[in-house]
Amino acid sequence: MPLPAPSPNPNPEPPDAGMSRRSFLRTSAVLTTGLAALAASLKPLLEMNDFPTMERFLQKYYKEMTPEDMEKVLQRIEAEVEKQYGIRPHVRDLKPMDGVEFVYCLNLTRCIGCRKCVHACVAENNQSRNPEIQYIRVLRLPHGSLDIEKAEHNYAPESVPEKGYFYMPVQCQQCKNPPCVKVCPIHATWQETDGITVIDYDWCIGCRYCEAACPYWARRFNFTKPSIPKERLNPDMAYLGNRPRRQGVMEKCHFCIQRTRVGRYPACLEVCPTGARKFGNILDPNSEVSYILKNKRVFIQLKEELGTSPRFFYYFDV
Amino acid sequence: MTRAIRNYFVFLWRCARIAFVGDWRYYTWMGALTVFCLLGLHAYARQFAQGLIVTGMSDEVSWGVYIANFTFLVGVAAAAVMMVIPVYIYNNEELHDLVIFGELLAVAAILMCLAFVTVDLGRPDRFWHLIPGIGQFNFPASMLSWDVIVLNGYLLLNVYICGYLLYCRYQKKKAAKWFYIPFVFIAIVWAISIHTVTAFLYVGLGGRPFWNSAIVGPRFIASAFAAGPALIILALQVVRRVTASAPAGETARLREGAAVPGAAMCRAATLDDLELLARHLPELASVSAEARQNSLAGAMVLEVGPGDALLHQGAKDTEAFFVLKGRVEVFREESGRFRITRSVGPGEQFGETSALAGTPRVATAIAEEPARVLRLPADSLRKLMRNPQMNRIIRSRMRERLMITDRGLLTLRGIVQVSMLINVFLLINEVFKEFYSGNLHVASAKYLFLGLHGYHALVPWIWTAIVFNLVAMVLLVLPLSRSLKWLNVTCVLCIVGIWIEKGMGLVIPGFIPSPLGEMVEYSPTLNETLVCFGIWAFGLLCYTVFLRMAVPILQGKLSKANEGQPEPATGAPSLSAAVKP
Repeated sequence: MPLPAPSPNPNPEPPDAGMSRRSFLRTSAVLTTGLAALAASLKPLLEMNDFPTMERFLQKYYKEMTPEDMEKVLQRIEAEVEKQYGIRPHVRDLKPMDGVEFVYCLNLTRCIGCRKCVHACVAENNQSRNPEIQYIRVLRLPHGSLDIEKAEHNYAPESVPEKGYFYMPVQCQQCKNPPCVKVCPIHATWQETDGITVIDYDWCIGCRYCEAACPYWARRFNFTKPSIPKERLNPDMAYLGNRPRRQGVMEKCHFCIQRTRVGRYPACLEVCPTGARKFGNILDPNSEVSYILKNKRVFIQLKEELGTSPRFFYYFDV
Repeated sequence: MTRAIRNYFVFLWRCARIAFVGDWRYYTWMGALTVFCLLGLHAYARQFAQGLIVTGMSDEVSWGVYIANFTFLVGVAAAAVMMVIPVYIYNNEELHDLVIFGELLAVAAILMCLAFVTVDLGRPDRFWHLIPGIGQFNFPASMLSWDVIVLNGYLLLNVYICGYLLYCRYQKKKAAKWFYIPFVFIAIVWAISIHTVTAFLYVGLGGRPFWNSAIVGPRFIASAFAAGPALIILALQVVRRVTASAPAGETARLREGAAVPGAAMCRAATLDDLELLARHLPELASVSAEARQNSLAGAMVLEVGPGDALLHQGAKDTEAFFVLKGRVEVFREESGRFRITRSVGPGEQFGETSALAGTPRVATAIAEEPARVLRLPADSLRKLMRNPQMNRIIRSRMRERLMITDRGLLTLRGIVQVSMLINVFLLINEVFKEFYSGNLHVASAKYLFLGLHGYHALVPWIWTAIVFNLVAMVLLVLPLSRSLKWLNVTCVLCIVGIWIEKGMGLVIPGFIPSPLGEMVEYSPTLNETLVCFGIWAFGLLCYTVFLRMAVPILQGKLSKANEGQPEPATGAPSLSAAVKP
């Protein structure tokens, strides 16, 4: 690592001639080469057709927007989506309902591992098809064990279910004590009063700390610009839910906010052919989930020992 | 006030200008670094446009070599404090000037850390969301928000301390203790905190059993205090070589000179000799006649011919010297290499530092040409220095010398030694706990050390690191590493070993297997690697520029006094030009 060891200029020019013709030419040659090299190295930026506009760059944090701000932003998003996909979507900012806390129950005895929920989720929530992003991962486990390290992710038999195995779909567990929310340095992800942990896609900086913190591998990152075929776009959208995401931000299961906050079931539940999935309001004593948690004898909170306290319960028909 | 501001800007301007002055070696080095920076920038521009898909990272392994480098460099930055502690707490004079090099290294390392975090972001355009007060800052819950505070705070602290000390030196003013000592102590605590916070980034994640272990914090500190000073040992030797090295042809001559016994014509000094000295040293004129007379007790005047030695490195005599006529060169022999440190002319002193401190001579002095030299006992010099003007000039000349001694380097070796032993001990603790208990969570450690389910990308890496660390540890314990050649080998082994162990060996296996038990491996892509090289080149570029500014200031060659003159060249060449017959 040689440091400078210059010798003094043998023929020092008088100070007035400091900007002599020769040194001027030399300086400008060096400057031009430097600038040309800099420009050449920044060339890949020209490929970008999605430079953030000033409006998007300065967009406020979700919780700090006034209803008027939100109205403007929603209209802008609708226009942007229409421009990109040719379909005018309906984007809403749905707030949690009072007296509601959502809980999911999944019957492991019934699940046959068909992965219909995975694909219904992708279609409903406008996940990128290339590269593929999925919120639900179905694990195949041998009977007699709940050791996740023995799970098979890429099982591909002729038909399901297979003898000797059971299946366990895993998605965001909507923890009561979510590690992802705790670690986010900028409050870009938080828990709403109905128990759903949401992400402000326009606030996330993409540090992926939440992805490292999540014990359930529930979070997904947009490593590049997501791509969704135009004809597959679901135009019924929510700001904190299934509106299209941009490159470089996190996303994850949000219990289909755009459906469940208007009284519908999540897409994964509706598509399930065996009725293994149950969803509802735990604060309502007459709900199906209340019944299950009161009357079923075996249920599991995944990785209970971590103290995350999931709102997602696995149970068996015993 | 306006004058002060003007002076400060002149200082900054001159510092900036000197960064562009150098010889062909300097330009080649800086040119090469610039090329790597631009290649890195190009790779980053591609990543910015296409997204992190151009890296090897995935949803399974969501942090890679960027965060690995970040973690390592936070350690390097924190370790700068290990230079500060001996100096300010134990008053180790040998390391005094070297502290600035350590702190400048810290500044360069933090800049690299910030660059590595930035390139790891998916949306760097939204960085302002992280600014406290403007964005949304999740403090104190998120360890990452702590990291933002401690890293930027550490950067400011070190920039302030280095900047203040260098500016004082530039103005030839004594640094006011109250303006920097409190900050130095804050920086010591802060240095520990930056690395602890970085460890807590990992330790705090309950869902990642490989990281969720209390020993990670202490291990981070131990490995940082081994790798950081190791890096400083290497950097200091480079500084020493380019600032004070004897040209190859001179070595034989100097070796001969060092062998000549002190032989000279000798007579008692008189007031006339002091009068002659005062002509070159105006401050002496202000000393009262009585004090001058007092100082003559034991003072001698030596007449020497070219090549005669006046004092010898290692000797324990206690006199100071002033040149009355002719020139004397001062050089040091270290590890078989001779370095000319100064060429002393009329009115200037040498040998006073060891005389006043009563320590062995750190250098040899021989006459370059026929010379007349005044030799004063330490007590006589003290008498002269009771005069405030004399005191100021002598002290300021003493401070101007930049000393990178072997003793200083060996002090650092001691730090590396202890830290490495602790680091290896902690590693053994970790390995024992993981494998002996053999519970479910051993999967990541198994993957790292032995391979798991047929996946073993990291196994060769971690064993290389372990071998490097163990060899380095053995070398550090053996007296062999007291020789600089072996010490350098040891330092390289430490740095590489710890980089692997703490970077790739800590960050990556934490993700494998995934929390759902899936095995997905990671290896950096070419694009990612180019970005890393670019950032390292950027860091080295910064550090070189910092040294390019700091060295002449510390040597007293760039100062307010010589404002308006052409910028000084560093170190040796001007001296070697002077010694040529």
